[in-house]
Parts: sequence; C-alpha cells; structure tokens
Amino acid sequence: MVMKALSADHAVAWGVRLAKAEVIPAFPITPQTLIMELLAEFISNGELDADLIPAESEHSVMSVAVGASAGGVRTFTATASQGLALMHEMLYAVPQNRLPIVMVNVNRTLGAAGGIWAEHNDSMPERESGWMQVYVEDSQEALDMTLQAYRIAEDERVLLPVMVCLDGFILSHTVEKVEVPEQGEVDAFLPAFVPRSSLDPSEPVMMNPIVPPEYTTEMRYQLDRAMDDSRNVVHQVDEAFKAAFGRGYGGLIDEYMMDDAEFALIVLGTAASTARAAVDELRAEGRKVGLIKLRFMRPFPHDELRRACSGLKALGVFDRSVSFNRYGPVFTEVSGSLCGSGVPITDHIGGLGGRDITVRDMRKVFSLIEASVEEGKVKRVYWHGLREAKG
Amino acid sequence: MTADEISTIKEMPNNDYFVSGHGACPGCGVAIAVNNIMRILGSDTTVYVPASCLIVFSALYPTSAFRTPLLFTAFENTGAVITGIKAAQRRRGIEGTVVGIAGDGGTFDIGLQALSGAAERQEDVLYICVDNEAYMNTGIQRSGSTPFGAWTTTTPVGKVTQGKRQMKKDVMDLVIAHDPEYAATLSIAHYNDFIRKVEKAKHKSGFRFLHVLTPCVPGWRTEASKSVEIAKLAVETGMWTLFEYEEGEARSTYKPHTMRPVTEYLHMQGRFRHMDNDDLNTLQRWLCAKWYYHYGHDVEQPACAIYNGEKELHFDGDPLHGV
Amino acid sequence: MAAQTLAEAAILGGHHAQAFPYFGAERRGAPVRAFTRIDDKRISIRSQIYEPDMVVILDETLLEIDPVVDGLRSNGSAVVNTRKAPSELDIGVSVRCATVDATSVAIEALKAPVVNTAMLGAVAKVLDLVTLENIQKAIADRFGEKLGPRAAEANVLAAQLAYDGTKEGRCLGARSIVQRRMWLPEWDEVPTGVALEPEHIEGVAVGPGSSIQNMTGTWRTSSPKYDREKCIRCLRCWFTCPDVCIKRLEDDHVKVDYRYCKGCGICADVCPVDAIDMVKGVHEW
Repeated sequence: MVMKALSADHAVAWGVRLAKAEVIPAFPITPQTLIMELLAEFISNGELDADLIPAESEHSVMSVAVGASAGGVRTFTATASQGLALMHEMLYAVPQNRLPIVMVNVNRTLGAAGGIWAEHNDSMPERESGWMQVYVEDSQEALDMTLQAYRIAEDERVLLPVMVCLDGFILSHTVEKVEVPEQGEVDAFLPAFVPRSSLDPSEPVMMNPIVPPEYTTEMRYQLDRAMDDSRNVVHQVDEAFKAAFGRGYGGLIDEYMMDDAEFALIVLGTAASTARAAVDELRAEGRKVGLIKLRFMRPFPHDELRRACSGLKALGVFDRSVSFNRYGPVFTEVSGSLCGSGVPITDHIGGLGGRDITVRDMRKVFSLIEASVEEGKVKRVYWHGLREAKG
Repeated sequence: MTADEISTIKEMPNNDYFVSGHGACPGCGVAIAVNNIMRILGSDTTVYVPASCLIVFSALYPTSAFRTPLLFTAFENTGAVITGIKAAQRRRGIEGTVVGIAGDGGTFDIGLQALSGAAERQEDVLYICVDNEAYMNTGIQRSGSTPFGAWTTTTPVGKVTQGKRQMKKDVMDLVIAHDPEYAATLSIAHYNDFIRKVEKAKHKSGFRFLHVLTPCVPGWRTEASKSVEIAKLAVETGMWTLFEYEEGEARSTYKPHTMRPVTEYLHMQGRFRHMDNDDLNTLQRWLCAKWYYHYGHDVEQPACAIYNGEKELHFDGDPLHGV
Repeated sequence: MAAQTLAEAAILGGHHAQAFPYFGAERRGAPVRAFTRIDDKRISIRSQIYEPDMVVILDETLLEIDPVVDGLRSNGSAVVNTRKAPSELDIGVSVRCATVDATSVAIEALKAPVVNTAMLGAVAKVLDLVTLENIQKAIADRFGEKLGPRAAEANVLAAQLAYDGTKEGRCLGARSIVQRRMWLPEWDEVPTGVALEPEHIEGVAVGPGSSIQNMTGTWRTSSPKYDREKCIRCLRCWFTCPDVCIKRLEDDHVKVDYRYCKGCGICADVCPVDAIDMVKGVHEW
C-alpha cells in the first residue's frame, strides 16, 4: 500500500491500472480528460499493458468498447455529460449483450444552459439503459469502486456494465489523500477476466442479431432479474473488499447516524460529504437527524431504503438534477420505493450547473425536512438557492 | 501476389460460410457479394454487420446465415466496432480477418465518421461497403450514394422535381485520402477481378477498404435475373469503375474497350425511366468527366463525342413499376 | 397493398375498416401476411387477427409450409388462388370456399404473376361487405396515384376478370394443418445475452449457419433446368447465385439445390452456353 495525493480522476486511472484493463477507447472531454491522460502515460511508460484507442467520438468510443468486450477482454472507458449523451445509443448495446464494461462518468451539466461543472442531468437519464450506476463521494471511493466495479460486473450472476459516477471538479480535480493498493493485493481480489462467450472464429457465436417479438420479453426479463440479483453481489463484493483492504462502503446505501434519527436526508455524490458535516453540527445541537448516502441508483436499493426509513418522522431527498415539472429523479425513485410507508418526503433540488453546496445549505435542507411535519401546508419541492421572483 | 493466392473462380475454395436459407430478395446483389467474400475469407473470419438489409435478411434470432462469429449493434459504427474486436483478438492471440460489411448508407452517410476514424488510425481491419445506392432496408430512400436522376421514395418523380438532383458521392476518394493499406472497387460481374481483390485484401494487414457495386432488384426496379448483367453494364458505361489503390497509387484493373452510352444502363432500370433529355445529358457529361479522371486518354469515349440527346426514356406503363 | 385496398373498398361502402401488415424481416418474395378488419362501428382493436372470418390465400403452396388457416372460424370462408375448383381443394378445414386462377388472370391483365388485385376481385364476389365496384374504385385510387392511369386500368381489369372467373363452393378439410416448429424457451432457458452457439434445440437449428433450415425454395415461381451436357464448368452460376443453392461438384459440374432456389434466374442469365434454362413453375430435375 502506498499513500498518494490524488485527484479522483487520477485515482480512477490508478484503479484501472491495477485492474489491468486491456482495451481503453477514449475521447477527451472535460472534466474526464485527466483519466485518459494518466492512462496514456502509464501505457507509454510500460506501466500498463493496454491498448489506448483514441476513437474519433464518444459514440465510437462505446462502439470500440462493445467490440473489445464482445471480443473477450477487460475493457474500460470514461466520459462526461455531452460525451455520455452521444454514447446513449451504444449504452443500450452493452447490458443486453451482458458485456461487463466499466465506465467512469464524471458528472457534468448537459447543455443547453450547460457548462463544465457538476450536475447529474447527464447520468440520471441513463438509468433505463441497463447499466449499473454507483455514485462516489471521494477519491478513495473512486479508486476502490473502479476495482469493485470489475468484480461485480464480471460476476457470472451479474454480467452487467457498471457506470461509476463522480462529480466534476468538486471531485474529479480535487486532490486528497488516497491509499493505492499493491498490485499483488488487487490481483488476489480481482482475478483475470474469463469471458463467458466471445467473438472467436474457433468457437463461432452469433451475437445480437435482429430479435423478433417472440423472444424480447424473455430477454428483457432475464436482464431485469440479473439487475435484481446484482444487489447481493454488490454486498458480497463490498464485504470481500473490506476483508482485503480494510475499507467497506455499505453496499447499496451507506447510513450515517440513522439508528435513532427522526429526520433524514437521502443524498448522493459529493453532496453526501457536506451533508455529513451538517449532520455532525446538528447532532451536536441535539437534533435527531441522520443521513443516507444513496450509492447505487441501479440496482435501486428498494428494500434497504424501506428498512432504513421506517419510523422516520420525515424524509428529504437531495437532487442534483431535475425532471421538469416532475421533481428530481432521485425523489421520484425514492417516493416509488417508500410508497405506503407513511413517511412524508420533500425534494430538495440544488447544486445545479455546479452551484456550490455548503454546510449552511445542508443545514437549511434539514430544517425544511423538520418543518415538513410541523406546518400544515408544505411544499413538496424546494429549489435551493433560487433567487425568488419579487412579485 | 504469391503463387498460392487465388485469382480465378476455379481456384476458389468450395466452402460456404454464408449459407442458404437467408431472406434476401431473389436476385440480391448483396447476397452474391457476401457469399463470395465469405468463401474467400474463410473460417478465420469475424463479421460485424451494422443496420442494413444484410443484417435483416441474414440474422434473425435464433438463426444466422453466417457460419462465422457475427455481431450487430447499430448503424453508424462499423469502423469503430471492428476496431474493438480486432484489438481484443490481437491481445488474445486470435489470428484472422475482422471484417465489417456495411451498406452505402452505413458508409457514405451515417457511418462516414467511424470509417474515417478507423482509416486514420490505420486499424488492421477489412471494411467492405456493399453499395446498392440507397437506403434499401427502410424501403428505398436516397443516400449520398444514389446516382443523379434516380427515383427513390425521397426523390420522387413529381411535377416540380424528378429524381435525385445531386451526383453520387465519391467515397473512394475520401477513403484514399487516408492513404489506406489497400482500397479497391469491385463488381459482382467481374469475377476474377473481384476474387483477386478480396484475396489481396485478406492477406494484407492494415486498413483495407473494398467497395462493391451490388444491384438491388426492388430498389432499382429491375428484373431479378439481370443483377449481374446490370453490374457489368455499369462498368461499360462508366457508372462504375474498377480500380485499386495501394502504396500511394491508384490504378485501373479493368478498362472497357469503348465507353457505352449511359442510356444502355439506364434502360434496364425502372428507377431512371422518367429521365428527360436535359437530365440524361447532365449525367452523361458528368460520366465523361469521371471516365477521363479514371482512364485518361487510354480508352475512347465515343459516347461523349456522339452523344446528342437520345430519345427520352419515359415510363413505359409496366404495371409492375413500383409493386 | 391488397389488405389496404380491401379496407379502402369497405370504407367506400360506408363501413369502418382497418388494414395492416405483419412487419417481418423477410424481403421481397418471402411469404407475408396482412390483416383487414371491417366493422360497422369504429374499430378499437389494435392486435393481429387470430380467429379470422375469412382467409385469403394468394399462393396455394403456402398450405404446405405455413398454418395459414389456423384459427379460421368454422362458419368462415376462404378465398384461394388455385386452378382447382373448391370441391377439389383441401385446405385442412372444410369451410365455404371460393377459388380463382388468379395467376393466369394476372398474367393476362398485367403480364406478370402479381395476384393481389385479381384476388380482390374474387373477394368481392364472396364478401358481402364490399362490392366489385368499390374494390375497383379502391384499386384505381391506390394504384393510379402511385403508378399512373395505365397501371390502374390493368389492375381494375384483373379484378374484373377474377370476379368473373371465381368458383364458389365448399372445400375439403382432410389434410392436417402444418405447424411451424419454433423454439420458444422459457426466460431462464434463453442463453445469456443475445448470443447463440451453433446447436440444435428442440429440433430447431440455432446460431451460426442455422438459416440453412429455412426452405426458401418455396418462394420460387420459375425453376432453373440444368443441362449437364452443355455445361463447360465455368462456375459462373455457382459464383453468382445469391442463394448459395448452385452446388459445385468435385469436377466443377453443378447441381441445383431446389430447397433454397428462389428462382431469380441469374444462373441462366450468366451462363455463356445456355446450359441453364428457366422454366415457369415450381419444378425439380
């Protein structure tokens, strides 16, 4: 184990190096570019034996990845916002073909009204694509989840691609302390990839022809079951990782101060860190608040959330993106899972376009959650930091 | 060429890797091309087919007409997917040809970017364009490859405009601009030339591009039995030219004795029946320039010298027209 | 196009109607099915038709390969393109039946064996919901607009000739209806991913090379006749056959595999010594 000061982008690159990915198609896009640059350096120096394929667009990046993974080798790529959107079509080619590709998406606003800063409106629309999605909050988790992602994705019971999402700049370019594991430890945790079936003329397979309606329902159901079964694998891999490296992340969700909490906030990505600091302050003031870090959007931790939220007086959800006229996507998902639980839920939309989220902001969120049971007339959704109209 | 390379029909292996029972229309030019390409490439071949007639008529779950590995995903990404497959197979020590077989829409239009990317990176893959000069899979819409004057459902014969108003894109020139290892045009009617070029492409490494003219019976409104004859006339009239590019130079591989007037080619196809004298002249003039570009002064072009406006083709009232 | 024209004729007669094809992946010449629903009120059903009141069979040979009369009601009827009279025809279910030699009609009226408009003439004879007049009007509309007045005229004539030549009666139901063999796995039996290796599952070939079980020879309307004596073994027919059904023998003579021949006629066209003849009809030698 070596201690380094790394940004999350560089931590990911170290994770990919340790995972020994073999084919890495990539196209530059801020704030992902640091990942592919460091990988190019590793390859150029002979520290990583892989093919970096500089494809001419993100659509082609994912197409190369599909070809390489179908060809039977461990495949990695990374992208952000507009790049992910350009890949959209090809994202759908991956899960149904059961290709265990790992991709890092550095969350960034998707234009129009877009910039280069963090927002989740790029990855949230891809929840229906069949990719697993995990959101991380620091550089260490970014590295660790890159390793875990391969072990989860390549598990026979799963065979699904994993998208590791991390917030642009707030995380991608923030340098912090990271423990970089030894290669031998990683090799023990993550065995070499053995493809289930692949494009090899000595054992020909037909992959993904046109599928008529007689088979589609069964194939979709099979994928639905695989996504559902992946919940157990996520937990098991996290346990195994903890045993090997001493760090665990709780699997699908990570609970903080929830044992006796009356009010709680569900939040993902870097906002979870800031919210945790707010919880510490509020707890010191005697307020019974807790935090649920939602790690996986797919598979969605339906059972875990129902258990963790039972008995709460009120719950808030923090969304870093919005489905116009229909709250934020995390709120919609959480509401679906807690339907009938009797826990009142409010949505808190904030951090759009990378607007900073402070501890003070998070304190305000908790106050509104507490207030949501006291007052008779509560709004269901709050836009934090919105400059309200004077009229 | 080494001695053991095949260059005639007789020398071709008698092993089919693209088999009967596929659902192509009777007389399909694409099926003729693919069948022979697969015979020559042989068993050590991995095939990618993007959205096209070919994937629809050859691979409908749970069946496939390809005996080799086959993959399909989308329309515009042939150059990219074959790049990925080749990278994986190279790393795993699997030898053989990775080939992408795309249509003209998937090559000239929506797939041009991925094609350029793969060519520029000099990927060690074989890219084949089977060109039937329109989006036939979706029901005959014009593409960048559709020739001037041709009827398609999106270049209808109306009161104001009749047929496509633009000339066919020269995709070979675009590919050659990348200085590929090998590029060639093929016709299903010029057998030995076809065989020699596929064989050559098979044995080279680096980026290889083959462009095959594949007549389409419903799209060109032709008789099913005439697909090969039409391909032959395409060459004799200059609508198609046979050449290859390697080591920085292009050279003709077949030169017609004399240029035949384009009307001989157009007469056999319902898609051109409406063309009037002005359009015929426009197309013939363009062909004469193209002829000179390819053959220089080597081959006479009497069609250009004597052409003074043949009688208009006109729709002949055939009730099959369009059925 | 026939299903749509029938619907249009019904609409001209004041009914509600709906027509739609089954969108399959086959190309031109492959068997296709299309549906027409006719009612006196607005039609709200959007599914395919499983228990038709009438089945119109454009090619009698389909009875050998496809369960075309599956679900046909016992009080329903069939219209079949055949030279036979209804009493000589066995479609696997005994129902009211109309027969017409639509192929001959089409060749006479259109100079081509395209039978859909002729079959509509026969349908007009037995189906109370449409008149011949409206069928012809609908044909003139649809074909005229797309193909010009001469095409419209010829197709209207085809309908008339077929109408006049239609024989009515009752057909036989002795033959057993062919069942299409399909592999329909339960969800957990579908091999993981959309991938298949070459194998046989429940008698169905799947994966690489498995299209060989599709007998496309049934599409054929004319057949190549090979004269071994004339053959100079140039193999041009072998090279240019789109359906890989010209088989190359050891000595470079060839043999036609009629199970797959779609009858395109390219082999005859490219043969330099006329060793292959295209003969009308479905034959094997």
